[in-house]
Formats: sequence, C-alpha cells, structure tokens
Amino acid sequence: MQARPDAAKAIALRDPARVMRLARLGSFHQCRLSFMRILTRRMTRENWTFTRPVFDIDANGVGHAVYCAHTPDRTYSLVAFAHDLPAESRSDRVIAEAWDSTFTLFDGIPTAEDIARLRDNIPLQEAGRVTETELSVSRANRSVRLWKHVVSRLAAGRQPDVGELTKVGYLMRTTAVYGSGKLGAADREMIASRPECAAPFQIEMLSVFLTRAYVRDLAQHMANKRGGDKAVTLDPDIARCMGIGNSTGLGMAPFLVNHPNLINNWIAARETAIARVRNVASASASEVGVFRDLLARSTRSADLWQSEHPIQIEKLAVLRADLQKLTKHVETADFQSNRPWDRLFSWAEATLGLDGQECLASLMLEPYANLVDPLADQMSDADAVSFRINGAMTLAQLRRVLERNYRWALDTDWTAHDRCARVWYVSEEKLEPRLGERFEEPIADYEQPLAPGRDAAALYDALKSWDGDDPVAAFLLPHSEHRHMVRRAQIVERAPYAEIRDNTIGSDLLPIDMLRCKLAFFGATHFDPRSDRWVRICLFGNAPYPEELQSRDADDWPYPPLELARS
Amino acid sequence: MSYSLNEIEALAKRAARGAGLSWGLSEESAKACRWLASHDLPGVALLADVLTRNDKVPYSHVAPVSLDGIWQAPSGTLCPLASGAALNDCADRLLPGQGIEMSNLTSPLLMVPFAAWAALHIGAPVTVSWLDSQIVTDGYKIWIDDPKSEIEVSAAVALTCCRATHMDDRATAPAQRGSVDQPAWARLGVFAHRTYAPATPQSRRFGAGAGATDND
Repeated sequence: MQARPDAAKAIALRDPARVMRLARLGSFHQCRLSFMRILTRRMTRENWTFTRPVFDIDANGVGHAVYCAHTPDRTYSLVAFAHDLPAESRSDRVIAEAWDSTFTLFDGIPTAEDIARLRDNIPLQEAGRVTETELSVSRANRSVRLWKHVVSRLAAGRQPDVGELTKVGYLMRTTAVYGSGKLGAADREMIASRPECAAPFQIEMLSVFLTRAYVRDLAQHMANKRGGDKAVTLDPDIARCMGIGNSTGLGMAPFLVNHPNLINNWIAARETAIARVRNVASASASEVGVFRDLLARSTRSADLWQSEHPIQIEKLAVLRADLQKLTKHVETADFQSNRPWDRLFSWAEATLGLDGQECLASLMLEPYANLVDPLADQMSDADAVSFRINGAMTLAQLRRVLERNYRWALDTDWTAHDRCARVWYVSEEKLEPRLGERFEEPIADYEQPLAPGRDAAALYDALKSWDGDDPVAAFLLPHSEHRHMVRRAQIVERAPYAEIRDNTIGSDLLPIDMLRCKLAFFGATHFDPRSDRWVRICLFGNAPYPEELQSRDADDWPYPPLELARS
Repeated sequence: MSYSLNEIEALAKRAARGAGLSWGLSEESAKACRWLASHDLPGVALLADVLTRNDKVPYSHVAPVSLDGIWQAPSGTLCPLASGAALNDCADRLLPGQGIEMSNLTSPLLMVPFAAWAALHIGAPVTVSWLDSQIVTDGYKIWIDDPKSEIEVSAAVALTCCRATHMDDRATAPAQRGSVDQPAWARLGVFAHRTYAPATPQSRRFGAGAGATDND
C-alpha cells in the first residue's frame, strides 16, 4: 500500500492566528487540563482526607464552620462565616458590601485567636485585611429560590425536586474568589513551590470545592433546625448534581490580557494535548468506548445547559445540532487506522461550528490520560523575568515580529470609530473594572492598556521613521509610550498563544468570550451569560464531595450521568 | 502590618501611571518598588518621592538625552525610573571593564532593581555605586556596603553601574512580604486615585453589564 505523502509528517499545533480569536476562545470547553480536574485527580491520587472540626451555626443560620483538607504534607482549612443577610442587600456585583456567607482558605489549622481575627475581617471582604496565613478570600450568595425549596422540602421530610435543582444547578454562588496577595493574603509566589499548588488556581479551586461541602451541610443544618424529627437527610445522588454557582464579571476579562505568559501556557498545554491525540496512529476499542460514553454525556450536558441570553440560546442550538451530527458521524467512523482522531477533527473543522469543534477537541483528550495529564505541570508561569525588554533587538527585527504576530491589527483601520468604540477603565467605586463608550463618555483619560492590537499598529507606525539597524533601546528612549507594547510583542514572539489576536475594544466586542475562555480552563460548565459582560457558571457540578473522592470515579465528573438519580 | 508584594506592586503601578508615566514604564517602576520592598528597602517611599518630584514634569525632561557617554538629563536631574529602564534595555553594554555612568540622578537606590534585572540578563553580578556606597546584586541577592549611610540620599551627583567580579558571601536573599511606610503608602494611593474614573449613573448601570437580575 502506498503511504500518503504526508503520512509521516506529524500534525502540528494549531496556528495561534486560528486559535486566539475571540469567537473561538469564547467557545472553549473544560477538558482534562482544567484546573478543577487537576485538583480532584491529585486529591484522589494522594488520598487527601477531610475533617470538619467546627460547625457552630445557630438556628438563624449565623455562626462559623471550619473544613480541613489534609494533604500528605499539610492542612488547608476553609473558614466559613454564615450571615443572616436581608434580601435587599443581596447583590453579586463587586460593589456589594454584604453576603450570605464569607470565606477564607487558611494555611494550616486556625487557632481560636485566628478565628477571632478572621471574624473581624473576612465578613468585610475588601474592607477587611488578612495576612500571609490566608491564601484566599471569597464570598457567596444563595440562590434564594432553590435554597428555600431545598430547605423547606428537607424540613418537611421530602427530597427536593430534581427538576428544580437542575434548572439552577447550585444552592450558592460565589461572587469573587480573591487569591495571590489580595487584601494582604499570601502571594502565590509564597506557595508556588508546593506540589499541590504547582498548577494554576489550585488554592482557589480547593476553596470552592470545600465551599460546596459547607453549603450542602448548611442547607441540611437549617432544614434539621426547622423540621426537627421530621427532617430527612439530602440524598447523596441529588446533592452531587449541585455545584457552586459563580457570577463572573468584567474583572476577569483583563486578566487574560494582563498575563500573557500564563495564558500562553494554558493554551499551549491544551493545543499540545490536541496535537498529541491527533497524532495517535489508531484507537483501541476501550479508548473509543470512553470517547463514545463521554460524547453521549456531553450531549446530555448540552441538553441540561440553560440560558435566556439570545447569543447563548443561538450558540446552544448550534452546539446541540452539532453534537447530533458528531454522534451520527462517530457511529460509522473508522477508528482503527490512519490517525483516526485527526481525521475526525478535520471532519469537524469542515462541518461543525466553533463550539462543536472545541467540544470535540476537549472530548478527544479524554481517553488519553498518559498523553495529556502530564502537561498540567507546564501551565503555570514560572518565568519571572519575562517582562525584561530586549533592548538589543533591532527595529527591523521588531517590525518582523509585529508582522508575524499582529497581521490582523496592522490591517485594521483604527481611526474608524467602530474599531475603537470601547474603553476599559477602572471605576473609583470599589475599583470595579468597567467597559465604556469612548465617543459617548468622558473616560478615555482613564483607559487601561487592554487593546494590544491598536497599540501594536501604533508602534508599527512609529517605527516607520526609524532605521531598521537601530536597537530597540534607542527607539524606546524618546518613546516610553511604546514600552508596554514592545514588551508584549517580544513575549508573543517567544510565546505564540500569549495574545488574543482580535479586537478587544471594537463595538462588536463580547467580553463574555474572554470570560468563558478563562472559566473553561477553570473547568466551568453551563455558561449562562446574563449580559454581554457578565456570566453565571457552575463549578464542581456532579463532582464527588470530599468524603466521596475515594469511592467514586473522581475524574470524569464534569460529564453528567446519562440518567438522573431521580426524576 | 506587612503587605503582600503583589499588593505593593499593584498600587505602585497605578500610582506611577497616575503620576503620568507610560504604562510600560509604570509596570517596570512597580516591579522596582516591589524588588526593593522584598529586600526591606524603602521602595514605596522612594517611589512616592520620585513621583512627587517629577509630577507633571514631561518625561523628556528627566530621561537621558542620549545613551552615549555619561547619561544626563537635558537640564536638572535624571529620573531613576526612566534611567533604570534605559539601563536594563542596554544591559548588554555592561561588559567587563565597561560601565554606564550617570550624572545628577535622583533617588539612586531606585536604580538598583533595574541593575538587578540587567545582572540576570548578562548572567553576572552588577555593582551600582554612588558617593561611598556600593550595592552589588546578582538579580536575586543583594549586598550593601554603605559605611556613611548614603544609600537613601535624595540625589547622586555621579552614579556608576558596572559588571562585578563576584557576589559577596554575606549577600542577603529577598523576603516574601514587605513593610511599607504608611505616609508614603497614602501618597501612592493619591497618585493611584487619578487613574480611577469617577462613577456616573451611566457607568454604574451599564459599565459592568447590569441588566439581568442577579438576585434570584
């Protein structure tokens, strides 16, 4: 048999110019490399144990609790404060000042003195102050409707209605999880050398994982107080389908632009995983079995996924149709020979929408733990000196870097109002990040540097009057205003997935695309945009609870079971 | 009260920007402030001093006129942030036996973090000296020889950066927290505040994307 001309050539990573478009980033799905899954795999592998040394909450739901996670080497403790919040004070906005529950993840086991100090500060959130023994600060609000339903049902001796539960998906949603040095907490650098903190956002994910157990326990506690002997215990299968909600606003969008090396490492790890699987010569029956099972469960997940936002409704319709097409195609697809995953993926690229393509890309990784999971170790940003500008680079070289990596931006007319209609700024109200209209509001003077495309084009323009043999150092001496962009361009030259290759200030920008990219890496599912700039998601839905990690498959939980426990 | 180094860097960046520095230079100035704080040196106070002194002064008035010869400002004094960034850009010039000299530089201690990054780049320690004081750094550790307590002078008539032959065994490593001078911290806060847009009903309503209720 004659080999195809390209049979020996390895499939390369996807082109950053194709991957780093907002529409595609805004269609990402969780995968084996999502941060929640990295955490649950480690907790299971290392046999972490969990205790609840304190649960001191009264009949009004006021008090505190401590949840400890014991790793082989140390203990982390979630300290939770439960509050009685008047309904009119409940808001998910950053500008809120009171919450149903407030939390910190404590490094070790807190003493009574620690608890007293934390009680004076954690309920205040941004208005409080913490120390280097605190690793995160967060808060959560109830889903009032579901909370009432669950507590009143359990108190009356009945299980909650599963249909109601799956409509919302969570009893409480976090509205911010602050880590890495915020409010005086420990910097990430202080703990980065611990193995369990090596992957990104593991502390924040652990905090949410423990928060989910606390929320379940608090609802049960309130039901027991109210129902007395009549109350029943929440069925574990029903409890498991509830995650922790999260409201995420604009604050997360600038993160992607402000951490170019880190974003590169996330995307590069996933792209490397995709390329590795596309290069697999043939798939075994068991590998195909895993894929088919999770494809069916993905289809169910898409069916459960609800949103009232017009954009998301349209995306969901396309995704559901694409998953049907994929399922039908897979029924007859040949997985035995000739790089089956690459052939499948090429079919998808020609046939499916972006959501369907990215869903498949994530699903293809599932049967290949050995090829994929070790990449988790490469997802942090350990390059502490990448901010240094290489002043010896010639301006001719810098021009070529811009032409290679910012072609789309150099071809954009930045004088057109619709191309630069938006301004990212920080409001003096609790320093909330906001997005405004450049030509309608007096905010341009407050603009944050979050438009690399425009800045790259301006830099390219400024370079025109300079000699190509001159070094970058000579250019930057009178042109300090371009230092930021020169640094970015040099980073992108080393880290090709570092930059969103799309317009972040255009009139058609959807910030929710940026949010979804980051949240998908967290491992979030069921993105539910509530406007073009904030989104609700679910974290750890269907995941094992701490005490279940050893008794259940702790890795494929993001895919809901085909049949609900109750209907 | 100790501060996280990220907090120090975050406020310093906003303050530098609020004082009119470019975003790129603000980023490096903030990292310089953090670097000094991690060595228990008064990065916050020095940054507040420099921003105050050069507030509303055009960048070109306090940046080196040329990278050839002895670096100097067009008139008056050199800003250590503008000069430090340029020094780091020119790190490859720190060859054995060749240094970079500057005249009339304010808050010279702020130059040291930039020299530290240059040291990391060239893979050799760098000495920064003015008056009778000498500071050697390999980018990470620092050794200060300051017999006359001159490292915190407000200006150096002449400052030299050059490649050092070795690190002193007594050099100290950075800490993971910083202490800050409260009045200086407040001064940085005032500069930082200039970067925050006053809230308007429109921005409050639409800027963060309200619309759907968040209380169900």
